[in-house]
Amino acid sequence: MTQTTPAPMPPTAENSSAAPLLDVRDLRTWFPIHRGLLSRTVGHVKAVDGVSFTLQPGKTLGLVGESGCGKTTVGRTILRLIPRTSGQVLYRGNDFFAYRGEELRLLRRHMQIIFQDPVSSLNPRMTVGNIIGEPIQVHKIARGKERDQMVASLLQRVGLDPSYGDRYPHEFSGGQRQRIGIARALALSPDLIVCDEPVSALDVSIQSQILNLLDDLQRERNIAYLFIAHNLAVVEHFSDDVAVMYLGRIVEKAASRELYSNPKHPYTLSLLSAAPQPNPRPTKARIVLKGEVPSPSNPPTGCAFHPRCPLTREAARQANAADTVEISSGGERIRVLSKCVQQSPPLEPKQGNPNHIAACWVTT
Amino acid sequence: MPSTNQPLLQVNNLHIAFETERGLVRPVQGVSLDIYPGQTVALVGESGCGKSVTSLSILRLIPSPPGKVLDGQVILEGRGDLLKLPEKQMRSVRGKDIAMIFQEPMTSLNPVYTIGDQIVEAVKLHQNVSTRQAYAIAEDSLRDVGIADPRRRLHEYPHQMSGGMRQRVMIAMALSCQPRLLIADEPTTALDVTIQAQILELLRKLQKERGMAILLITHDLGVVAENADVVAVMYASRVVEFGTVEGIFDHPQHPYTKGLLRSVPTLGAPAGRLESIAGMVPNPARFPSGCKFHPRCPATRAAAAEAPADQTVQIATSEERFAVLKTCREIEPVLRQVKPTHWASCHLVENYASSAVTLPVLNHRRETQPPVAADATVKQELGPSRV
Repeated sequence: MTQTTPAPMPPTAENSSAAPLLDVRDLRTWFPIHRGLLSRTVGHVKAVDGVSFTLQPGKTLGLVGESGCGKTTVGRTILRLIPRTSGQVLYRGNDFFAYRGEELRLLRRHMQIIFQDPVSSLNPRMTVGNIIGEPIQVHKIARGKERDQMVASLLQRVGLDPSYGDRYPHEFSGGQRQRIGIARALALSPDLIVCDEPVSALDVSIQSQILNLLDDLQRERNIAYLFIAHNLAVVEHFSDDVAVMYLGRIVEKAASRELYSNPKHPYTLSLLSAAPQPNPRPTKARIVLKGEVPSPSNPPTGCAFHPRCPLTREAARQANAADTVEISSGGERIRVLSKCVQQSPPLEPKQGNPNHIAACWVTT
Repeated sequence: MPSTNQPLLQVNNLHIAFETERGLVRPVQGVSLDIYPGQTVALVGESGCGKSVTSLSILRLIPSPPGKVLDGQVILEGRGDLLKLPEKQMRSVRGKDIAMIFQEPMTSLNPVYTIGDQIVEAVKLHQNVSTRQAYAIAEDSLRDVGIADPRRRLHEYPHQMSGGMRQRVMIAMALSCQPRLLIADEPTTALDVTIQAQILELLRKLQKERGMAILLITHDLGVVAENADVVAVMYASRVVEFGTVEGIFDHPQHPYTKGLLRSVPTLGAPAGRLESIAGMVPNPARFPSGCKFHPRCPATRAAAAEAPADQTVQIATSEERFAVLKTCREIEPVLRQVKPTHWASCHLVENYASSAVTLPVLNHRRETQPPVAADATVKQELGPSRV
């Protein structure tokens, strides 16, 4: 389907070409923790805690971080698959959370999602043709023969034989199923696709096929991607901008190249350093972080990274004893800067580059 | 103490089959490997290539039926052929001589017993000690794998721990009886990168202290490059390339290995299209004829474009039709020693036809170990001097 059906624009009049496709402002998604007989709320898991970014049409923003950092929750909250706690999501300048009913349903055509697990995200009782054709029918774009033709051309576009429409998901390999998931996402000609770990369940030789397909589709159809992944090399390869998340917050964001060649946050540096490279003679020393990611229900005070941060430890060695404090981390007593324990660092430009922001008290 | 010139474990010409409704499926065919004391041998490949079946059959953990050994030997130094040992003796090999850790620590630990009970069970099974001594050994082994406050942790249940912590417990349990060989099947695949770095660092440290050999099974080429001494690349039931870690990554010979290395995005590499291997990983129930890689192989296609028409044959995949060399479609290549320390099975590798068919044996140690950074390095790397 190279001829895309013109999708209706959001019904409000505020459309402006200068506005970013997606403008996320101070988004928070907290999950209540219930305890006891009366299920009283005793606290919150702050899965997403004040995340802001913008995404331009046809561009890719990579969202990286370890499990539990909130990257998947960001993607799902933006699509309103999970209710937000506070904050705004502007889609083409309009408040997405303000839409209700039919207007919301129409708007949802523009935003699609591709899931990590190509097995559980396809209904095993539906044929591939119905899986891909259902959104076309639900949104009353086409029916009957016309619909089948659209499904066939979508299948062809993602590199599958058009005759496969009659088959069931279990007849396909993981890579092929992911192609089916992509065809389903494309069916409504979206301008935003949230890709939630789209290749991490696939074999290495298949991953690059899927990444190349996503890349071609973006060029062809000017689709913006919010690309969520834990593999830094994949994200670097694929994204224009990259945001690194730690415990519900963005700790660093910059253009992809800049972030990888000149990281400013110690967590970003540790992540980059921890990713094993296919080189039998590693030259750079590996930073092995101590401890684990703390629970988002009870994050550390101040900078959430301070109990694992090698930078604050090194800075504390050279600082006045009055400016430092001893804490316990991973069963050890360590000395860190008091500031890192007491105050949360702002996400601010580093080295005068307004497009490179990081949240760290120690780096400049 | 065994001499380091004698292999600790020899896998010779192993063939494993499974009886299925659709006939005999053969996920492992003619696999040979030698592992020396203190060596790390990596078995690399994608899903369905037979790497996990190989490792499970070393410990005789393949259920039979449906599984059976068609041919081959697994010789453990001092124990003889494991495939012929009576089950009772085999039980004393598992855990004592050879221990294994799995990808998913949650499913490998029993959720209704404490960590301590599970380690103590393994210790008492293999060592003649009292319960009190066994708990002391368990506590020591938890401390060895870097678990803080091990005495308290002994009384916790698996669900009270994070994924990285559970993997440490698995390692502690596996190492509590001082095995000579550790089989690590995707030990870090389920873990985050910073935790993966900790676990791999821990395995390297323990290996150095104890001189233990490791059979590392993984699909992650980065993990292989940084940890292995010797690498065996498996594709569709066979080892298709075998060599030193430096040889495999610097001068890959087999078109599959070359394709794999090129299709992985690396940090700092120029953007642009990734190279990929066409087609998909074959299903063990329906392997192609001849060289099992030929329907995906760029080398045979390129060669067929230049070769006379009577030496080529047209084949069709679900996506396209193209010509390949008849040899590749009809004759399955075997592992030949194409260089002194490098084996490959591909008709198109230089000097393949004139190389000898030998068993792959390499008592090699990697040239460099990945260094660990100090806090000061971190400061230096983040400092303004880098701009």
